[in-house]
Amino acid sequence: MKPPLRPLLAIAGREVGSIFRTPVGWIVTALYALLTAVLFTLQTIDPGGPATLRYFFTPAAWLLMIVAPALSMRLFSEEYKAGTIEPLATAPVGPALIVCGKFLGALASVAAMLIPTLAYPIVLAFLADAPLDAGAIASGYLGLILIAMLYLAVGLLVSTTTDSQVLAFLVTLIALVLVMVAAGPAARFAPAWLLPVLAELSIQNRAAVFAAGVLESRHAVFFCASSGALLACAYASLTVREGR
Amino acid sequence: MITVKHASKSFGKTRAVRDLSFELQPGQMTGLLGPNGAGKTTTIRMIAGYLAPDAGTITLAGHPVAGGNSPTDPVAARRNLGYLPESAPLYTELRPAQYLDYRAKLFALPRRERRAAIARVLDQCRLTDMAHKRIGTLSKGYRQRVGLAAALVHNPPVLILDEPTNGLDPAQMRTTRALIAELAADRTVLLCTHVIPEVERACARVLVIAGGRLVADGPPAEVGRRSDTIQIECRDTESADDERLLRDAITHALGAGSIIAPVPKSTAPNRSDEAAPGWVRLAITPDPARAPTPDHDPQAALARALAGIGRPIRHLASTAAPLEERVVDLIERTAHHESDPGTEPAPGPAPDPGEQDGSAP
Repeated sequence: MKPPLRPLLAIAGREVGSIFRTPVGWIVTALYALLTAVLFTLQTIDPGGPATLRYFFTPAAWLLMIVAPALSMRLFSEEYKAGTIEPLATAPVGPALIVCGKFLGALASVAAMLIPTLAYPIVLAFLADAPLDAGAIASGYLGLILIAMLYLAVGLLVSTTTDSQVLAFLVTLIALVLVMVAAGPAARFAPAWLLPVLAELSIQNRAAVFAAGVLESRHAVFFCASSGALLACAYASLTVREGR
Repeated sequence: MITVKHASKSFGKTRAVRDLSFELQPGQMTGLLGPNGAGKTTTIRMIAGYLAPDAGTITLAGHPVAGGNSPTDPVAARRNLGYLPESAPLYTELRPAQYLDYRAKLFALPRRERRAAIARVLDQCRLTDMAHKRIGTLSKGYRQRVGLAAALVHNPPVLILDEPTNGLDPAQMRTTRALIAELAADRTVLLCTHVIPEVERACARVLVIAGGRLVADGPPAEVGRRSDTIQIECRDTESADDERLLRDAITHALGAGSIIAPVPKSTAPNRSDEAAPGWVRLAITPDPARAPTPDHDPQAALARALAGIGRPIRHLASTAAPLEERVVDLIERTAHHESDPGTEPAPGPAPDPGEQDGSAP
């Protein structure tokens, strides 16, 4: 293993470990699994209906709006509060590696939380008459991961600015809700020239595309690029903090 | 090993560190002393690369950490640094062995080296029995040792320890001090503390910071040293004329600025240094302007002066002020000078600790 990769994976691994070494990680996972199970049972298992997980992926993406800030709120805020940022920031790893490691760890935690939901396509495959569209299911999960990336990047940036986890959670949640409202219900009050911009900002529209089993690279590029930009801001925020 | 040149750092309007310069040689254990808020922690955070100085240059093990014309490489510098921040912040959900493994990975140690390094530091810090207990359940002393083990896991040539014995009980303090002394045998150590006896015992050199400035730099025996106080026991004076004669003789021998004060009676039982009946004990601080030189020995001058006026003496001894008293004196003089710049200036650091002669600054 090349030297820069080892610290990166160490930071990511510690993040995953710290989430699942405490009850909070397991409670969030259990709640997510329970809520998605209820939605799956009520909306997807429909005798005579199409064998699709589309109606699971759409609300699952909505739930990420709460799950992602709950995971990202502690990424830096907890380190600031406990003072553990000092030994971390004085190890031979730069701010970029710290940001990337923490982001990867949080993303891996979301991926781990999605593992119990893999039971739903299996159940559906047993119940359905026709074979399931594996490509559509993969597209749906890819969409969830990409949306989680963006939400976690927003939360990570916010957590670099405060040592209060509660504040980090609330600010991230409010930011995500504001973008959703601006690109959704509030869009009809916007001037016509702004509508295309708001439509591009709509995460729900993009989520619906992935949920429908359509894989469009422009949506994947949007999530990757916006997450990257937010992580770059988080890097800048950490660098500014060092010089404070 | 560590070079700090004209480093300054402000937080808003507060100037935490002002034009600080010093250099630490390899293999030396140096104490960084100063009152709370003097700028000690800011200084070591700048050296460790946790805070960037507003001005000045810092190099660690030959790698530029901040400032200067060459591009800085704090990451390379940190590979040579073991840093224990104040109150040893740790991840309480981990176990010491897990935490040390994590730290070793941050330093990119390969798997085999990692195992050996963890076993070594667990043994060195007497943590082997606690290796698999949750850090959150360990006592403060053990947590401090975990922090120290984490600072050592990559076997760095430079160690910076911020208040390593803060909040420990006396037994824990003793074991931690012994451990630090052991570690200092083959490393450059910067020990930041406000426990002065700790520095007096262990360090070859002391840096005193007050108000963000370096106010003294030298061996513990020399830092802030003024002429030693001389205690004498002489026949009690019988008249005002006798007393004036005694004072004149002393000030003539030791300078007009000499301070003469009776030694207060001790309340301790069975004191052997009490004055005998009919005799009086005086503590004399020679005038700082008349520093001891090979031609001027204050004790001999005083003995001659007392013999000259025919005053019998039965005890004459010099006592050096303890480091604690000298450091407090330095800090008070700096604070006094800051509030009233017209008074005697605060003493600047000696250019070379070895050249200090113990004279009044």
